[in-house]
Amino acid sequence: MAHEAHADAVHAHWDTSIWPFVISFGILGLGVAFTFQFVYHSSFAAIIALGLGLPLILGGIAGWTSEAMGKGEGLSFASMGWFILAEAMIFLSCFAAYWAARLNAPDWPPAGSIELPKLIPVIMTITLVSSSLTIHKAEQYLHAGNRSGFVNWLLLTIVLGLAFLGMSGFEWAHLIGEGFTIKTNIFGTVFYSVTGLHGSHVLVGLAIFIAGLFPAIKGNLSPGFWRTAGLYWHFVDIIWFFVVSQVYFW
Amino acid sequence: MHKQRKLWAGFAALTGAGSAMAEKYIPTTDRVVDPAAGWDRLWGIVLEDITLLGIAFALLCAWLIWTYRRHPGNPESNPPVLSMGAVLGWSVIPAFIFMADDFYIAANGWNLWNMQREVPADRLEVKLESGMYSWDYTYPNGVQTQNELKVPAGKPVLLRMTSRDTIHNHYLPDFRIKEDSMPGRVTYLWFYPKKPGQHLVTCNEYCGVNHSYMSGKVIVLPPQEYQAWYVQEGDKLKKAAAPAEAAPAGAAPAAPADKAARSPDQNQKPV
Amino acid sequence: MSLKEWVFTTDHKRVGVLYLIGSVAAFIVAGIMALLMRVELTTLGPTLTANPTTYNVWLYAHGAVILLGFQIPALTGFAANYAIPLMIGAKDVAFPRVNAFSVWLFYMGVILALLTFVMPDPPDVLWTGYPPYSTITSGNTAFYTLTVLLIGFASIIAGVNFLTTIAYMRAPGMTWNKLNIFVWGTAGSFVMQLIYVPVLGTAVLLISFDKYLGTSFFDPTNGGDVLTYQNLFWFYSHPAVYVIFVPFFAIIMEIFATFAKNPIFNYKVAVYGGIWGIVLVSGEVWIHHLYVTGMPDWLRIGQMVTTLLISVPVGLMTISLIGTLYKGSITFESPMVYALGTFFLFLIGGLTGIPLAVTSLTVNLGETYYVVGHFHYVMALTGTLSIFAGVYYWFPKITGKMCNETWAKLGFLLNFIGANMIFWRMMEVGVREGLPRRYYDWAQFPQVADDQMFMTIGSVILALGFAITVLNWVFGAISGKKAGDNPWGSQSLEWTTVSPPPHGNWPTPPVVSEDWSPYAYGKRA
Ligand code: HEA
Ligand code: HEA
Ligand code: CUA
Ligand SMILES: [Cu+2]
Repeated sequence: MAHEAHADAVHAHWDTSIWPFVISFGILGLGVAFTFQFVYHSSFAAIIALGLGLPLILGGIAGWTSEAMGKGEGLSFASMGWFILAEAMIFLSCFAAYWAARLNAPDWPPAGSIELPKLIPVIMTITLVSSSLTIHKAEQYLHAGNRSGFVNWLLLTIVLGLAFLGMSGFEWAHLIGEGFTIKTNIFGTVFYSVTGLHGSHVLVGLAIFIAGLFPAIKGNLSPGFWRTAGLYWHFVDIIWFFVVSQVYFW
Repeated sequence: MHKQRKLWAGFAALTGAGSAMAEKYIPTTDRVVDPAAGWDRLWGIVLEDITLLGIAFALLCAWLIWTYRRHPGNPESNPPVLSMGAVLGWSVIPAFIFMADDFYIAANGWNLWNMQREVPADRLEVKLESGMYSWDYTYPNGVQTQNELKVPAGKPVLLRMTSRDTIHNHYLPDFRIKEDSMPGRVTYLWFYPKKPGQHLVTCNEYCGVNHSYMSGKVIVLPPQEYQAWYVQEGDKLKKAAAPAEAAPAGAAPAAPADKAARSPDQNQKPV
Repeated sequence: MSLKEWVFTTDHKRVGVLYLIGSVAAFIVAGIMALLMRVELTTLGPTLTANPTTYNVWLYAHGAVILLGFQIPALTGFAANYAIPLMIGAKDVAFPRVNAFSVWLFYMGVILALLTFVMPDPPDVLWTGYPPYSTITSGNTAFYTLTVLLIGFASIIAGVNFLTTIAYMRAPGMTWNKLNIFVWGTAGSFVMQLIYVPVLGTAVLLISFDKYLGTSFFDPTNGGDVLTYQNLFWFYSHPAVYVIFVPFFAIIMEIFATFAKNPIFNYKVAVYGGIWGIVLVSGEVWIHHLYVTGMPDWLRIGQMVTTLLISVPVGLMTISLIGTLYKGSITFESPMVYALGTFFLFLIGGLTGIPLAVTSLTVNLGETYYVVGHFHYVMALTGTLSIFAGVYYWFPKITGKMCNETWAKLGFLLNFIGANMIFWRMMEVGVREGLPRRYYDWAQFPQVADDQMFMTIGSVILALGFAITVLNWVFGAISGKKAGDNPWGSQSLEWTTVSPPPHGNWPTPPVVSEDWSPYAYGKRA
């Protein structure tokens, strides 16, 4: 969520921003790329669409952040609660599909599954929880007006997030190497979909951090933005507990 | 070989995964009623009910429009001030009336529902597998028919249904009943053919290009005629199977084994 | 006034108008698909096309585009955007850029949906997209799922935006009980969107996974379950009908209040019992779309009761609606004519939902033309015509001009006649013959030939009415008479600013007093 509120004075002109428009076209590009790749089996066209879409999205996000950063009035934090409600429903629906399959299965795990490693998820959990603590710490520095402290702890958070994704990727590579893929059976389906969905949220969280990092380094600090970003990050962290307990240790 | 294993896994899923949530057992009763007649009766009741409500509200609204239109005698509105009692009265009383009506309809609906779901013990059981685009019936003695369900008059018929591809819906307009058939689950419906005659079977769930052409017939025969047909077809089947039995073991028995694995009536284990 | 200021606008009113243009365009496309279907159904066997898939693609486009591209965006996009900030006395929404983002995402979704007509293998999964068909068809299911995802995402961010706006940006003095009923209705509808849209999004996402990545969520041969999809789908798509219903009903209530010059009858009960009652129950009735799929009996019976109980909050809102006429002084300008006519259509539509709610009746009625008749009455007619009532109502505010009254009423008359010709007959055919819906051809039902012809004639009359309406707006916007700031004499805040309102809405932000009310009418006021 970007954060901003209406300008204070009544303008004779009409406010405009090209970034929402640009990002939307980028997203359309992603959709078109998906159809070219998977429906029309034309990787060439897909790459072109992707090549148009991704820069539009990234450029749009950069433009949007630099345009809006610092103009917020703190409503973004309140609205993040609503957004999190929606996000939570996405995970709930995925888990519902998982429970429906699992509770009706004659035996579990279904044939073809392999034993999931138990150590990596524990390390991953520790990493993610620490990153929640570090972003909290960063926010405290922000409130105290200590910019370099804030930036350092933010960087540490980003590193932890990246480490988490790295471990997840490593684990995926390992499992796929052993022949356990998303197509293997319903458990593979669920495992990769749910961890992938969660991973994509970690990615979005990191993207938000990085988008705010550069203005922050330049000295453009917006407490509203960081409070909101932090809230989102904590949410992603909490969801991970459900993923771990439902998928790895049940 | 690999493909076959997958097929068997599929059957395992059909019987195992499917049955857990599908009808594990079918409620059986000694009473024989005709749900189709019950349907007509309930439809009449509910239709009267909603017509009355509709007319009442429409008339009330029309009266208000007419009475309170702006005319020389009524140049300005004069909104009522609702007392606390009026507020409650205008919400609690209608709410109770609506609820009473709802429960009345629900009770009648549930009653009919029980008739539709409890199958008479004395019945003919036929298995149905639907596919794009046909209805394939299998009788207890193994006789198979396609798109034509022959049944005796005066005996309730139970269908246990599944599908080999997409979702279909076995709809019998004359018997006021339908139920989906789908892969991985077993569903059932029953109907009560009283008199000899022909009835339409039509597919009522979008299942693909030729959905609108997926139809069949229920042919209700006089009991003796049906019995004759049934025995005769059964004999044909036996004759066809006999040479196969004589043949080297292994190849032929696979078919009956396959049947057994999918038989619905063993220990109430559905298809 | 430059094009750039429109396309890149972040102003809620212009975003609202963009939503209106996009959704009316979607309505016309989907409506033309409906006409093609009607013509195809007129004669036995092939009429326009000999290929059933072509018909199925029309049906897909009709259902999906009209719901995702017209009804929901017209209500929670256009009407909410235009009216809410003005009604609560705010200068804009909480996040104007997010608002612009949501309208453009919506346009991208519509563009994807329209690509259906130019790309090979168009989607033929109908608006419900049930697997296994949607995962095995050679049609382009991806267009379906991506359209849903884009427009769904647009509604989620719009919901976040508007709930924040309503909660924090009301004018000083604007307490909860002074809000317009439309603001309440839209708030309820956005709460439902936030809870349920993600479920739909997940359902179609998993369809794409199954079809394109080889997962087996809905594949019973590999441990999945086909009904999981249907449960997820209807867990959203039933509440979706109330996402549509609550705001459009609230628009009718606004119009009743303005033209009867009366406050909403029993306002608090309509808000807390009616709107929020519906929101509360909306999530517990989805099984009524799965009555014939072999769900466990206790669910089918339990949700029959909850479905029937929906008539209680809806009935309370109905009483508030017609109670608003009591002791009023009613005038009959075009918005009021639409609103009044719509009420009768709603009675038919809502009450014909009652038999469908009864599980044991649905085993015959379900998936027949009876259902098609029911939902066209309640959604295609009540919904569309109340949206149009709203457009006529706010038209002077939006453009500063008036529409032609005579053409407006003529359009409505044609709509009313044509609509009843088609959809009443549909219900009859459904009950009398059990004619199933989603049939390219009715070869098994030769006896309905006359009915089909009759319905097609009705649909032409209906379409004529809509064409008149749309043209009337276009001419009104170009060359209508000048309207004052408050042509209908309404008390609500949106009429206190000039027409059309400037960016920022008011030169000085409004403050409302203790005894102000959006419905302060009549001798007491
Ligand atoms: C805006 C859209 C809208 C609205 C508001 C409704 C409202 C209702 N609908 Fe409808 N419905 C649809 C859109 C809508 N529906 C659509 C699109 C489908 C088909 C989807 C598809 O398959 O493609 C559908 C299908 C559908 C089905 C499934 C049929 C099937 O597929 O087999 C059912 C079953 O219960 C149902 C019931 C109801 C009920 C009980 C209401 C109630 O909310 C109605 C309540 C209103 C009243 C009752 C009238 C006013 C009240 C009074 C006058 C008070 C007194 C009344 C009583 C005490 C009864 N609807
Ligand atoms: C709000 C929703 C909505 C609306 C408004 C409509 C409107 C119409 N619908 Fe629709 N319909 C649905 C929602 C809606 N429908 C849904 C959800 C389904 C189920 C889909 C499924 O099964 O998957 C369905 C299915 C459906 C069927 C069932 C097909 C089948 O099951 O095989 C039929 C059949 O006749 C039909 C007909 C019509 C007709 C004739 C109209 C008419 O009202 C349309 C009239 C409108 C127009 C013709 C456009 C008019 C405008 C112009 C002509 C403007 C001219 C242009 C300028 C002046 C610039 N509809
Ligand atoms: Cu089989 Cu439709
Ligand atoms: Cu519903």
